[in-house]
Amino acid sequence: MMKKTKLLAVLLMLCLMTGLGAQGQVDSGVQKEVELRWASIWVGNDSKAPAVEALVNEYNAKNAGKIKVVIEPQPDYNAYEQKVRTSLAAGQAPADIFTIKFNPTTATFYQSNLLMDFSKVMSNSWKQTFDAGSLEQSTVDGMLKSLPMETAILPIWYNMDAFAQAGVKALPTTMNEMWAAFDKLKAAGITPASQMTGDTNAWTSMIWFSHFAVSLGGTNVWDKPFTDPAFVEAAKLTKRMITEYSTSDAVGLGAGGSGGHFLAGRTAVFSNGPWYAGRADLAATPFFNSIKIAGLPAAGSTKDFMISRLQANICAASTKDKAKEAAILDFMQYLTSPASIARIAETSGAMFAIKTDYRPVKALQKQFYDVASAAKTTAFDLEAALGAEVTLEFAQQLGALALGRISAEEFCALVDRKIER
Amino acid sequence: MQAVGTHRSRIWGARALFLSPVLLLFFFFFLYPFVFTIATSFTSWRGIGLMKFNGVANYQKLLGDPTFRKALGNNVIWALSQGFIQVPLACLVAMILVRKPKGWRMLRTVYYLPNVISTVALAMVWVAIYNVEGPLNAILSSLFGMEKRNWLGNPDTALFAVIFQTVIYIGYFMIILLASAMNIPRSLYEAAQIDGASTFQQERHITLPMLRGSLITTMTLAMAYGMRHFESTFLMTGGGPAYATTTMGIDLYLRMDALRYSEASTAGVFLIVMGTLVITLLRKIFGSSDPMSEMAQ
Repeated sequence: MMKKTKLLAVLLMLCLMTGLGAQGQVDSGVQKEVELRWASIWVGNDSKAPAVEALVNEYNAKNAGKIKVVIEPQPDYNAYEQKVRTSLAAGQAPADIFTIKFNPTTATFYQSNLLMDFSKVMSNSWKQTFDAGSLEQSTVDGMLKSLPMETAILPIWYNMDAFAQAGVKALPTTMNEMWAAFDKLKAAGITPASQMTGDTNAWTSMIWFSHFAVSLGGTNVWDKPFTDPAFVEAAKLTKRMITEYSTSDAVGLGAGGSGGHFLAGRTAVFSNGPWYAGRADLAATPFFNSIKIAGLPAAGSTKDFMISRLQANICAASTKDKAKEAAILDFMQYLTSPASIARIAETSGAMFAIKTDYRPVKALQKQFYDVASAAKTTAFDLEAALGAEVTLEFAQQLGALALGRISAEEFCALVDRKIER
Repeated sequence: MQAVGTHRSRIWGARALFLSPVLLLFFFFFLYPFVFTIATSFTSWRGIGLMKFNGVANYQKLLGDPTFRKALGNNVIWALSQGFIQVPLACLVAMILVRKPKGWRMLRTVYYLPNVISTVALAMVWVAIYNVEGPLNAILSSLFGMEKRNWLGNPDTALFAVIFQTVIYIGYFMIILLASAMNIPRSLYEAAQIDGASTFQQERHITLPMLRGSLITTMTLAMAYGMRHFESTFLMTGGGPAYATTTMGIDLYLRMDALRYSEASTAGVFLIVMGTLVITLLRKIFGSSDPMSEMAQ
């Protein structure tokens, strides 16, 4: 019995020593592979998913044994946003690489030491590949803790087949022409516009409101108090749009319903970003080829502008591990290179803050690029300019405004109290 | 003497060993978050950066916020609806099913079925039912010529529309009450029948008093659910329109969404206090005596 125990102890010691020796060999000889976790929202049905996956696979193949990027799929955006918020609050980066929707609320993340500050590590040549305005918008107190990646313009979509059916052949160029066209659509039994007050941002109507507000108050309108006459007038126009020219379920309706009305041909005008252009259900509609992308007719003196936003900024976890930091920067440079971005843009139709020579060939996606380049200037939408809390108040009170529970002045005063100054 | 001491310490050691997993879980998943919530409610903290002590500023802010007051009021309506509509409905059905009418087993399953279906799926079904072009409006307009309504989009109807789709699902409370009702000795009913008591009198003077303990338990549970209500309202209306359907749970969630963590903690403390208050009040009013256990004695 004693002999057996001794033998077992010796064997265990031998195993331990062999293991340690082997470990030492790895450390001293072979370079350890750095694994980077990317919590990616560009997965599943997202139009950017195939190109992103291919790029990651190619990068991994090229850096085999040195760097490996592992995509952690985040198909549910709301759950993903929660994950980012709670991870950072718990003192942990959600992943080595992750994206945020940059706005005044998420700019709070810049206070965290968990995020890498690119302003300290970016080379000039890398910086120059980005759109300078987007880089500036992503910089807070001199810190660049997220790189602008996906951008978007938020134009108005017109189903020209529906317009033709109502006897309207051209896009309205003035507000009066637009009301007249909408009246004709109504007379033809077509609801003119998709509007909504549901979800946390009343997305579709928020875009319309942003167009009206910027046209009435200028591109710096978001710096003004929300009680400014430009906002009051924009609120009145949005209310008119909802009560007279939208579907009867607009109050309380979510983005899915609003988009659904347009896809089903129940409404003739809609608003959304370029990512919607790549949808298969949109391509399957009989009016797909008739869709025209443009701005709204000017409601005020500011013309030829386009509403835009930083749709997704990419962040990296700060690390003291130099090898990991180098790996992160290497991958980020690869991902944001004009060549990679052109490939993602080609398959998705999305727009990016990185300058490329890519020009889309698909008609609808091409229209987005044309509209963006034709705009003399751009201005943020309400959510991008004022953050999540103000937008939530906007959405909640928009329902009350549309139902006539509050006046446009009261509406603006209620939203104004949520703005932090 | 020493042997007794060793035996005692062994027993205590075993007790500590068996209790430690649950104590650890209790500490990490209840006590720590509970204390953390209370502590952060007295700070100014956005989830990132240092916490700054700000006294009762968050409490003052929340009490002065009409949205939060609306949420608090709505939670009281929820608690009352669940306690005084859903539970009595469940009790009524349990009293019918305990008499084992034809097909009672199938009915019991049918009533309980919604409890095994996901809240998300149910909420989506009800969003479709309440839609302007949905079946509810179609039925009401064809039967009574009623004008089509946007049930969830109108602040006058939205709260009651959401409450209705919750209180009609009585299965959970019905099962508890049915189990209790089935334990009532049949001899009591037989004696009452010999004395000439009608069915109504039997229910009034035997079933209801015998179910008193279970009724208090189910009402406590229902009202506690009402005070912390979140899911179906969030899914169906997001708390809108114009905060008409918001609840403390939704308010808490949206404050977290806006990175106002310390305010969300304050809302959480209010939730705990209100829940405790409702349960205490209920116990004070109805007492907690259980006639079944009294009879057993």
